[in-house]
Amino acid sequence: MVKKLLLFFVLVFGTYPLLAQSKTVTGTVTDATDGSPLPGVNVLVQGTTTGSQTDFDGNYSIESESGNVLVFSFLGMKSQSITVGASNTYNVSMQEDAEQLGEVVVTALGIKREEKTLTYAQQTVRADELTATRDPNFMNSISGKAAGVEIKKSSSGAGGSTKIVLRGNKSLSGDSSPLFVIDGIPMANNKGGQPGMWGGVDAGDGLSAINPDDIESISILKGSNAAVLYGSQGANGVVVITTKAGKSGKTTVSLNSGYTFEHYLELPDLQFKYGANGNAKESWSTTPGDYQNSYVEEFFQTGHNFNNTVTVSGGNDKTTAYFSYGNISASGITPENKYQKNNFTFKQSTKMFDDKVTVTSSVIMALEETKNRLPAGYYLNPLTGLYMFPRQRNFYSFKDNYEVFDADRNLYTQNWFVVDHHQSNPYWIINKEPKTDENKRVIGSLSLEYDITEKLKLQVRGNYDYAVKEFEQQHAATSNSTNVHPKGAWDYRKYDDQLVYTDAILSYDTDLSENFSLNGVLGASYQKTVYGDGVSVNTGTIGLLYPNEFTFQNLPTNVQVSSTYDGSVIKQGAFANIQLGYKEMLFLDLSGRNDWASTLALTGNDSYFYPSVGVTGIISEMFTMPEAVSFGKLRASYTQVGNEVPFNRINPQNTISSNGGVDRNTVKPFLDAKPEIITSLEFGADWRFFQNRLGLDITYYSLTSKDQFIQVPLLQSESEGGYTTKFINAGEITNKGWEITLSATPIQTDDFQWVSAFNFTNNTNKIVDIGPDDDKVINLGSSEGYQSKLVEGGAFNDLYVLKFLRNDQGQILFDGGKPLRTPTTELVGNLDPDWTLGWNNNFSYKRFTLGMQINGKFGGNVFSQTESMLDGAGVSQRTADARDAGGVTVNGVDQTSGAAITTVDSETWFRAIGDRNGVGEAYVYDRTNIRVNQLSLGYNIDVSKLGLPISAASLSFIGNNLFYIYKDAPFDPELAMSTNQNAQGLDNFNLPSTGTYGFNLKVTF
Amino acid sequence: MKKLIYLITMVIAFSGCTNDFEETNTNPYQISGESLKQDFNHVGAFYSSMLSQIFGNQVDHNLTNVTFAQHLATPTPFVGGVNNTTYYIRWNGYWAREYNNVMAPAKQVIDIAAADGYDVFVEWANLIRIVSMSRVTTYYGPILYTNYGSTGSALYDSEETLYNAFFSDLDRIISVFSANTDYVGLNNFDASYGGDVSKWARYANSLRLQLAMRISKVAPDVAKTQGEKAMADPVGLIETNADNFNISLYGAKFHPAQICFEWGDTRMSATMESILIGYKDNRIAPFFDPVTDMSLVTDHPDWPYKGIRNGAELVAKDDRLSFSTIDVSFNDPAKVTKRKVMSADEVFFIKAEAALRGWAGAGDAQANYEAGVRASFELWGAGGVDAYLADNTSLPIDYNDPVATGSVNDFVNQITTTVAWDEAASNEVKLEKIITQKWIAAYTNEMEAWVDYRRTGYPKLPPVYQNSSNSDWGIIPDGEAIKRMPFVNTEREGNAAGVADATAKLGGPDEIGTRLWWDTGGPNF
Repeated sequence: MVKKLLLFFVLVFGTYPLLAQSKTVTGTVTDATDGSPLPGVNVLVQGTTTGSQTDFDGNYSIESESGNVLVFSFLGMKSQSITVGASNTYNVSMQEDAEQLGEVVVTALGIKREEKTLTYAQQTVRADELTATRDPNFMNSISGKAAGVEIKKSSSGAGGSTKIVLRGNKSLSGDSSPLFVIDGIPMANNKGGQPGMWGGVDAGDGLSAINPDDIESISILKGSNAAVLYGSQGANGVVVITTKAGKSGKTTVSLNSGYTFEHYLELPDLQFKYGANGNAKESWSTTPGDYQNSYVEEFFQTGHNFNNTVTVSGGNDKTTAYFSYGNISASGITPENKYQKNNFTFKQSTKMFDDKVTVTSSVIMALEETKNRLPAGYYLNPLTGLYMFPRQRNFYSFKDNYEVFDADRNLYTQNWFVVDHHQSNPYWIINKEPKTDENKRVIGSLSLEYDITEKLKLQVRGNYDYAVKEFEQQHAATSNSTNVHPKGAWDYRKYDDQLVYTDAILSYDTDLSENFSLNGVLGASYQKTVYGDGVSVNTGTIGLLYPNEFTFQNLPTNVQVSSTYDGSVIKQGAFANIQLGYKEMLFLDLSGRNDWASTLALTGNDSYFYPSVGVTGIISEMFTMPEAVSFGKLRASYTQVGNEVPFNRINPQNTISSNGGVDRNTVKPFLDAKPEIITSLEFGADWRFFQNRLGLDITYYSLTSKDQFIQVPLLQSESEGGYTTKFINAGEITNKGWEITLSATPIQTDDFQWVSAFNFTNNTNKIVDIGPDDDKVINLGSSEGYQSKLVEGGAFNDLYVLKFLRNDQGQILFDGGKPLRTPTTELVGNLDPDWTLGWNNNFSYKRFTLGMQINGKFGGNVFSQTESMLDGAGVSQRTADARDAGGVTVNGVDQTSGAAITTVDSETWFRAIGDRNGVGEAYVYDRTNIRVNQLSLGYNIDVSKLGLPISAASLSFIGNNLFYIYKDAPFDPELAMSTNQNAQGLDNFNLPSTGTYGFNLKVTF
Repeated sequence: MKKLIYLITMVIAFSGCTNDFEETNTNPYQISGESLKQDFNHVGAFYSSMLSQIFGNQVDHNLTNVTFAQHLATPTPFVGGVNNTTYYIRWNGYWAREYNNVMAPAKQVIDIAAADGYDVFVEWANLIRIVSMSRVTTYYGPILYTNYGSTGSALYDSEETLYNAFFSDLDRIISVFSANTDYVGLNNFDASYGGDVSKWARYANSLRLQLAMRISKVAPDVAKTQGEKAMADPVGLIETNADNFNISLYGAKFHPAQICFEWGDTRMSATMESILIGYKDNRIAPFFDPVTDMSLVTDHPDWPYKGIRNGAELVAKDDRLSFSTIDVSFNDPAKVTKRKVMSADEVFFIKAEAALRGWAGAGDAQANYEAGVRASFELWGAGGVDAYLADNTSLPIDYNDPVATGSVNDFVNQITTTVAWDEAASNEVKLEKIITQKWIAAYTNEMEAWVDYRRTGYPKLPPVYQNSSNSDWGIIPDGEAIKRMPFVNTEREGNAAGVADATAKLGGPDEIGTRLWWDTGGPNF
């Protein structure tokens, strides 16, 4: 594949006309306002393929002949032309282009619009901000860089998924993940399985197919107002990824090479002073000892992450091409955890028929392989055994001899001190229950743009996105018997994800009169996805014919091999958008879309329409403003978007069960289903002051989601002819919030510049109505002490836990020497933060740059089952401190005798409040945390003095997730066990959070 | 402009093209009703799924009626040791399991079979409904049966209505089965009797006898009528182990083995240890595995089995994992392929009690009693039945928990009857012998053992050591045993009026101490 791409690339370049010999023109391009040099200005010899760019000092050099016209262009500046005469030096001073102030941004469907005309909030993050610190999961880098975006990264390490929610959770039963779009076309993002309280592994998401170095920018369309043209898919907002394209002019080759190492930030606070009584698996002895204390730290290793991309870009005024190859090779902080990714991207664009037709094609290929991605939860997790190992025992005898030969069976068996469903030998899990995930993906797209007239354009696009995913875990014989048969177990799944997309868009752009402009778009789209089409088998405790052979042939007859299918969906849309402009100061934006969704087949509601209207006024153009005001606009918009129901809910059929019979479907057909409707109202203001050195962008939004698609278990007393479950359209959720971005350039001199930006987000979620049954509870994940559930009047992600039973004086009630707890879980808070703040700073001094980002989350709660388990097992430092102090000091009272209780025996106390079914109240922590999230220190090397064929080079030192400025929880509250909707804010033996540090070298030839 | 027209045409073409929506929205790996018509699976393919749900899972059975009947006990202090096993209700899932997986599909299957005129299939599904519901009612009392499947909130049947409905439905079922003994339609779908309709009729008739005996104290006339009808019916009763009604495990592992060996959550009960060892019962070997740590059995080293007291005070699960497991052969799906629902021993024991109650056709009490014991020994492949039946001295032994300190979890045996029949003894003593043997023979199908204990007070089981009952679910006085399970929360909340009506029909508060209809609390004779 690589060879073919390279060959094709060479062929394209082979067609270039040879250039005539001519002279070299040089010069410096500066900013007219302050005289500072402008790097990255495009210089093109008009009518030719010859082009160049200014370097970091604003210097350019270009081959041309006398009489040629050089065109200098730069975003936000007025283009300038000069005619080459006798001189060999032409310095150019460029003027700021007030008209371009808002600059052109990519909106829905790839439609380019001037930012100032937008009637809704959209925030763009540039490539350099995404890739500066080389996070292998680039979406993690968005955190704090845009308001209204909630990002949580998976605790599973490199290649793991990312949870992204824009403007809060909007759906009771569905997912609130946004749509991801590359170059205008939706991409498949079928998130695989996620861990829960009992275990499981993050199966990644679709975003890793993209090489971050290929990204030009990411635009975040936060509300449905912005995303209405995507129809129901855009109901949760859209992340629009625009990739780099080849640029005409000189062929440039650049190399971006990074290395980072990774280390855990903190481990649970463990004690190594008290061992177990006898053979107990809990360490509750009260006799101090001198025990091994470094094996936990030694389990974790330093991770390494090599990240290399080479890109080649070039072309002439007819054809441009772009090629990149990226490789990430990483090893994680746990033994045998490895991640490999290879990305290939090829993109070309050719103009034909007198430049009236532009054909663009691209191929993205990604190959990923992950070994031993670490799970979370109780089961088959190396961290449970590692943390809870009784202290007086010799860990190294189990580490060095994780397997021992069993003469009775003539095979190697697991060596661990106890048989327990929570625990295995950590090194056995790592070495004898290996996991591999493999993803192979190709995205091919073709686009044809036809300029019918100067004003009328037609664009037709097609896209095919295909991925094969394979997950496998081979549990060796004698792995934990709760999950694995004595002969071993095989857990295997392989499936395809496919997405076919095509659309046609007609756009018309004209000035109706001197004062009025019209911008119209009319289009239609078709999309079909087939997700999860494949095969799976999990032998679990059923067994294998022969031990330690993991093949289909080795399956006993009572193992069911399943054909899997996550769903196929066809969505068709017809849409129109009109933007009317008046004097470049007042814009009216009207959109409408009709969707046809296959998931609503048979209901008669499979066709549905929704409108959007927005208005924006550029106040600074309408009225004369004080000099301090450089720009000011106000905007408002109203949108309705429908969200169709999930796959196969309308008329589900029967399933063949593992016993060979057929399970009769008992879900009542839902033949009158309607789409969910999200109504969104948004107001915003965008003001800039002091020659744009200070900017303030404020958005207030109010979203109402109605007709939620809710699963209702039928009471046995209302089974309606033999059904157990039905679906209804009901319920209402509101999300209201503020998004504020404050950006400033406090210092700007010839040598020194400081750019700073704050992104503030606050979202208030409320479950207004949960359906006809007001007492209905929708469980978002509960186990033992922890519960997150939806109730009417509550909010998404409300946290319920068991609390201490107290009297009116607040004293804990005791019975028989043990603290009492509430019989049911009670509301203690919400897992979402009240507000978040990201603070980004970029300093540049001469050739040095310094970037620093601080992220803060304020308010909200998280819950640690890990701490509860460690307390119950007597291995937390807390339990040692209590034993040192001779017991736990409490303010309690015996419920029958009324006698005050001030001290409780440590073991009694922690066994009562900790372990599996403890008093959750004791393990709820404030989510508030402030951290230095990113740091990069760069130096732009002065290549002119090197005498090498290098046009630019920079070296930077980078760090991610460096340290906390403030944190309450004993773990990283921003690390997600699951990036799905469930089990949020929960730590149950999650992999510890890591920081990465390293350097990056970028060279352009 | 042409392009514009083309585009608009295309848009219309798109919007018109929703023909494939229905197919797209169908999971190709599910099986449609149309496809199932081949080989008549649209009628027959659902029975194995329904039957495999008759037995519940760990919390439905093992930690509920099995522990109440004291066959097995858990070493695990679930939820701080405060749970169903100590009379604080945490799990109450059997209700939903049976309605969702048996009643709901049965309703649809009966409609399909009736529409196509498959009478035997209709009655087969009706019989499975009774199997399921006659078990569910032993938990709750009033349940949904005659009104099940209607739209809107249906009312529960009182137990009297329920049992009368069972009997009249059994009349119809047996009559249809009797008229179709040569019907071969079930052959492909019946893993229990290979499609032999006459054996199903025999089971249905035996079920009638079982249900009749359940209500023998509260409705003696109906019980006698139905019991005599069963014993006189020419379709016969299950009186050989070859006729036993078993449900196939369909290749799956015997679930209690998973609970015992994979999860380490169940062990032999102390009561089983006391009774089997005391009576020198050789069925102990096929039932349970001996311990390897002889320090656990210093009180009876010749019988190296150790059980856990039901409702014990437990500190850590590990403490008693070394106690006797169920027999290891249960852990092999190739060896244990089915689970018994009704066996010949039970029929003989019912007939023995019927004889004491003077029901016509019951025969001799002693003969039935001894036939029951012999049938059970034969079923389990245990030897020494003659000596066992002749033993008029051995009594169950006292229990000592070797892990707990002092007398914690220990109990003193209360059973005063020996195995050997004593024709001269009172009916009460005879009944105690019958029900005690019926209790032992019920091993692996404990449902009726819990019924008999509540109905007759036999065997004389020790009370739970730790009684965590409180006003949340109702208080069980110390020394007494749980009487029922409370109605499920979804119904309590979603069908409050229906549950209030059911509670009135129950005749007492919806608590675990309220006796069911047939549990009169009065004398046995």
